[in-house]
Amino acid sequence: MNLVQQLINGLIIGHAYALIAIGWTVLLGVARLVNFGHGQMYMLAAFVTWWGVAGLGLPYPLAILLAMAGGVLLGLVMQLTMLRLTFAQDLVSIMIVTLGFGHVMRGLAGLLFGGNPQVLETPLSWIDFEIAGAWVTAQDLLIVVAAIAVFLLLRLVLERGALGRTARMVAEDPKLAQLGGIDVRRVYLAVFAFEGAAVALAAALVAPRTPILTSIGFEEVIITFVVVVLGGIGSIGGSYLAGIGLGLFTALFGGFVSPAYATSAAFGVLILVLVLRPGGLALGAKGGRA
Amino acid sequence: MRPGMSGAPRLLLPRLFLPRLFLAVAGALLLLPLPGWIGGVHGAFAVIAILAVAAYGLDIVVSDLGEVSLAHTVFFAAGAYATGLLATRAGAGSWVTLPAALLAGLAIALLLGLITLSLREFVFSLVTYAASVVAAAVAHNWNVLGGSDGVSGIPTLDLSIGPLRLAARNDAELWPFALALLLVTLYAVRQFRRSRLGAMAMMVHLNPRLATMSGIDVRRVRLRVFLLSAPFSAAAGWLYAYQRAYVGPDLFETYFLVLMLTAVVLVGRRLLLGPLLGTALIIGQERFLSFGGDINAILLGGALILSLAVLPSGGTSGGTGGLAGGLAGLLERLRPRAPDAAAPPAEGRSVPQP
Repeated sequence: MNLVQQLINGLIIGHAYALIAIGWTVLLGVARLVNFGHGQMYMLAAFVTWWGVAGLGLPYPLAILLAMAGGVLLGLVMQLTMLRLTFAQDLVSIMIVTLGFGHVMRGLAGLLFGGNPQVLETPLSWIDFEIAGAWVTAQDLLIVVAAIAVFLLLRLVLERGALGRTARMVAEDPKLAQLGGIDVRRVYLAVFAFEGAAVALAAALVAPRTPILTSIGFEEVIITFVVVVLGGIGSIGGSYLAGIGLGLFTALFGGFVSPAYATSAAFGVLILVLVLRPGGLALGAKGGRA
Repeated sequence: MRPGMSGAPRLLLPRLFLPRLFLAVAGALLLLPLPGWIGGVHGAFAVIAILAVAAYGLDIVVSDLGEVSLAHTVFFAAGAYATGLLATRAGAGSWVTLPAALLAGLAIALLLGLITLSLREFVFSLVTYAASVVAAAVAHNWNVLGGSDGVSGIPTLDLSIGPLRLAARNDAELWPFALALLLVTLYAVRQFRRSRLGAMAMMVHLNPRLATMSGIDVRRVRLRVFLLSAPFSAAAGWLYAYQRAYVGPDLFETYFLVLMLTAVVLVGRRLLLGPLLGTALIIGQERFLSFGGDINAILLGGALILSLAVLPSGGTSGGTGGLAGGLAGLLERLRPRAPDAAAPPAEGRSVPQP
């Protein structure tokens, strides 16, 4: 494969990464929350989409909506379980609990969908055309368009509207926000519901590119983390750019160096950033640093 | 977040479990023939002891330092891989593989500890998580480590010295060694909690500002505790390699990670016997009351969620939490409440930092 093909491939992967990471970006930016079950939510949503298409015979767009509804439900269940920890801003316990949720989801997926790898076939993955020597499917283009649309929408909503003001206030100081008459509980629930819907949308769009297994999702968390950190924690525009950058890097590294170590190399980039630009990691006043 | 110390469960339980020396020795001697009495379950007992030792490594980081390391499976696997590779390729004996396993764990911990020196909370956890993902990728792809096939045909444990025969050809013979490793670990963890480093770790955990003002080098303490924790998990990996006679990339699966974490928090934090009882409950369920892999995974993850998010007084770090915390909370509720001992409101626990 030549350079141009890898660049086009990287752009597509980059949009996929950005889309996968958006739920976490909002979760961290708005609510100062983390979700280590993110990858397993991706896996479960991919299975639900597959089941919707192959099992229920739904058209692909309806299967996407089904997966997103499932994601919302899952997000609400998780946040309802963790409300006490959330109000105490007990990030350490939240981290462990979301890991536990991830493990439960993996067992659940094995139970419901079996251990065999499945392939989600969408009508769009059959349409392909050539751009500068690279073969691109309509599914790939859908990922790019959807990622751009979601990011534009979020920018509009979070950085302009009243909703964004409320969210930022909760992020800045949950107690003060509550005194100010904001129902903080509802904001937290809404943010987690959004996280569920966003990761489900990403899974429904991106999962057709690879086989779906109960063991996937492990790497998605790492990719998500690298995107969120590189983009500046909680920054919407930043994480979009970081996703694209990481996608280009992965495609080039995978194409010219070694595909097996692409994720490891992404982690290498992360370490470089941590060592060279540790200040960029500051998580508001709370700080993820000593 | 600054967790308040919730006193009740801490007062109640450690005293209950306080190991008097003779009680400990008698208990250990009783444990030795126990799997035989139950009916030849030496394998399960050995695995419980080994994985409990691995969990104790994580325990002192989670309970004492207050950070969630997700890289302890890497230390565990490093010990196992060092043992497997040296024993099969170089014909090394068990006395050689033990220090090699400890060194392998320690070296990785040093590297990772230096990288994460100034990281805290979820950033620390994510970097350690990423480290285990990278380690898994390396184990799967690097032929020197056996790739996806791993390393099989590891000989049995043999610690014989001169005429003294100390070998384990099967699980029944391995169990005393696993028990010995567990007892050494229990003693070491107990001594660590009473040591200056242990006290400094708690101070760094509960009040880093005060620790800094008292002249404690926070980073140094964090690095030292992190380094101290790795050999426990690596030693567990050493014995696990002999127990299973096989080492493979499956050691990096989330199962071991979730198992260790659950073992640490299930019964309660900073209880000496907590991780052991937690491991025993989990492995006991898997071995004797199994519902198949998928339901077992749901139960294990559910136990983790339960012990932190559902059980009462599972406070962040000062409190015990887990089953013991839940029990203490229940006792507290049953006891007639003194008028001045009103429970502090839950939200009063987190005092925002300026």
